[in-house]
Amino acid sequence: MNAPEKLKTPSRSASELTCIVRVNEEIKSIVATAFRINLMALNAIFLAKRAGNAALGFGVLSNELRRFAQDLTRHMASLRDMTSGSVGSVTGVVQQQRNSAILLQAIRLSGDGVPGVREARKRGAQRLAEQHGRLRALDQRLRAAVEETQQLVELGGVLARSAKIEAAYGGGFSPALMQVSTDFAEVIAQIKRSLEVLGKERLVKD
Amino acid sequence: MKQAHCIYQNDDHRWLAIARDASKPGYLIDTNEYVVMDGDQALLCDPGGIEIFPAVFSALSAECDPTTLAGIFASHQDPDIISSLALWLEFKPDLKCYTSWLWQSFLPHFGGSESTFVPIPDPGMTIRLGSLELQAIPAHYLHSSGNHHLYDPKAKILFSGDVGAALLPPDQGGLYVEDFTRHIRHAEGFHKRWMGSDRAKRDWCERVSRLDIDMMVPQHGAIYQGADVQRFINWFAALEVGVLRG
Ligand SMILES: [Fe+2]
Ligand SMILES: [Fe+2]
Repeated sequence: MNAPEKLKTPSRSASELTCIVRVNEEIKSIVATAFRINLMALNAIFLAKRAGNAALGFGVLSNELRRFAQDLTRHMASLRDMTSGSVGSVTGVVQQQRNSAILLQAIRLSGDGVPGVREARKRGAQRLAEQHGRLRALDQRLRAAVEETQQLVELGGVLARSAKIEAAYGGGFSPALMQVSTDFAEVIAQIKRSLEVLGKERLVKD
Repeated sequence: MKQAHCIYQNDDHRWLAIARDASKPGYLIDTNEYVVMDGDQALLCDPGGIEIFPAVFSALSAECDPTTLAGIFASHQDPDIISSLALWLEFKPDLKCYTSWLWQSFLPHFGGSESTFVPIPDPGMTIRLGSLELQAIPAHYLHSSGNHHLYDPKAKILFSGDVGAALLPPDQGGLYVEDFTRHIRHAEGFHKRWMGSDRAKRDWCERVSRLDIDMMVPQHGAIYQGADVQRFINWFAALEVGVLRG
């Protein structure tokens, strides 16, 4: 026998960890954008106040957009809780896969006749299945939460479009209001793209 | 490829040495693992690192039923001693791991739970295995600050962990020390650098000189037999330790 076969590291779960990193980065960028929307909405509220009667509708929509930014921040916080919990589950899977792979290699070297190996493999497979089950459940919860957030962002898109319409009635303030509502529409489109990316990520690869 | 060699047998009381692995990757330090067996119980001494687990497991399984493993004795906390712990527990979840109390909350980073560990107090303790009463002998600061060796008074074997270790060239691959003077040259640098306390060393030399030892089996290198055991103790007693060079 020559040099021992290199121990296999489970690249599948390593890629699951990379996936969590990507999900977290996406969440972070959405949180930052939500913060921006909140500030933009505050500015819009002041602008509408200065525009007076001509921008009453715009003012109401700005308030709604601010509430939207706060709701979005809350959604993202619960998404973040989910992904930080999933790091623990993925690590459990990585460890179990690694242990099972090394034990399998030991059993291959020793032959199948060694007492106790069948039970040990069965126990390992069972633990792995349990951990995968937990991860799958987390993945489903994460996806459901992303879908819910997507619906919320649809509502944000409607608010931004309505703000644009209201801006047209802003009299002398119209160009400024128009600029603000265009900015709203842009950042919301950006969030939509991020959520699409998030929706495609899977914590468990079947 | 590692192989288990029977170095002592008296009925079903046996010692196996899983020693000297020429096929392991060069970047890993070579280690010896030992199995003490009596009746239907076995104890594995310093089971080694994760990387060599498959080789140790298969060598052990070739000579002994691995389900009879009742425990693991870890002389200290080093990765080449005990980082394979999680894998042995993967095979046998109820294994007990005997180790210095000092490492009781450190070793779980390698695996195991609260019920896995049996802390050995500083003065040592008796570890029962079948009809045997094995003695955990204090060897603190040699080199680890919480360190024990394992003495089998019936077989007159002392498992001495890193003490007696020699980093031998590939052409000196024998299981036993054949020429003490030639052998000890490969142990000198290691003992000077790794053994940190002269006082601890003198205490240990005195302590083990009182034991009746036929074989001293270290975790690295070849096994000392007969007169070479006392020769080693005398050599070690005279050696200046805890020095970087010289
Ligand atoms: Fe060590
Ligand atoms: Fe060592």
